[in-house]
Amino acid sequence: MESKSFPGVVASLDGLRDYVDELSRQAGLAKKATYGLKLAVDEIATNIILYGYEKAGLVADFRVLSEITEQELIVILEDEAAAFDPLANQMPDASDLSKSLEDREIGGLGIFLTIKGVDNFSYEYFNGKNRNVFVMKKQQS
Amino acid sequence: MAFKIETVIEEHTAKMTLHGELDSLSARVFMTEIEKLAGQPIEVLVLDMEELDFMSSAGLRVLIFSKQKIGTHLSIYIVKPQELIVDTLEKTGLHHSVTIVDQYPV
Repeated sequence: MESKSFPGVVASLDGLRDYVDELSRQAGLAKKATYGLKLAVDEIATNIILYGYEKAGLVADFRVLSEITEQELIVILEDEAAAFDPLANQMPDASDLSKSLEDREIGGLGIFLTIKGVDNFSYEYFNGKNRNVFVMKKQQS
Repeated sequence: MAFKIETVIEEHTAKMTLHGELDSLSARVFMTEIEKLAGQPIEVLVLDMEELDFMSSAGLRVLIFSKQKIGTHLSIYIVKPQELIVDTLEKTGLHHSVTIVDQYPV
């Protein structure tokens, strides 16, 4: 697995997206799949940085682990914040998504876009670290 | 790519041109521009997104905030958003609350 660390600050998001772009290019992902993965990784990294680190007063890096197999690109965001399963939160449902802007809740859209943007998203807490796992299937030629 | 925003206010219309990538860092800049409009008699918000390459949920939250902050009478037009940004607006149902156009005035 390839590994790259980023400082746990919002200013890292730009470089993180560039890195995901590069991994997607290496895996031969199409433009739409690349954008979906980039959006998903950005959303989860934002939560890690803002809530896992900044709000908790924790200064730490987060790591991106990646692997390109014959069938898929696997990207793992690994952080040292307190255990947090993004899938444990309630997602907006069809009724929430049909609400007008003035009646909308501000939160909940990030994890929704994460799940919609990738082929598979999962979470595990392993060795004292949160691991958010994103899987994109490579295009079959 | 670095985020950039330009705002022009003419009568009751605020036009903002967004460039680059809108994430949770740049959304703070976008939010500040929206906050400046609060209390002004703005009826139409035009967001030119032709040169916006990326928008996360932080950008969507500013759209929601703008309607809640400026007022429910506010009409929001999004000019020439890129296909993948339209996809995000559609997935989240926000396309029902804004008008997507090729140019403004329509």
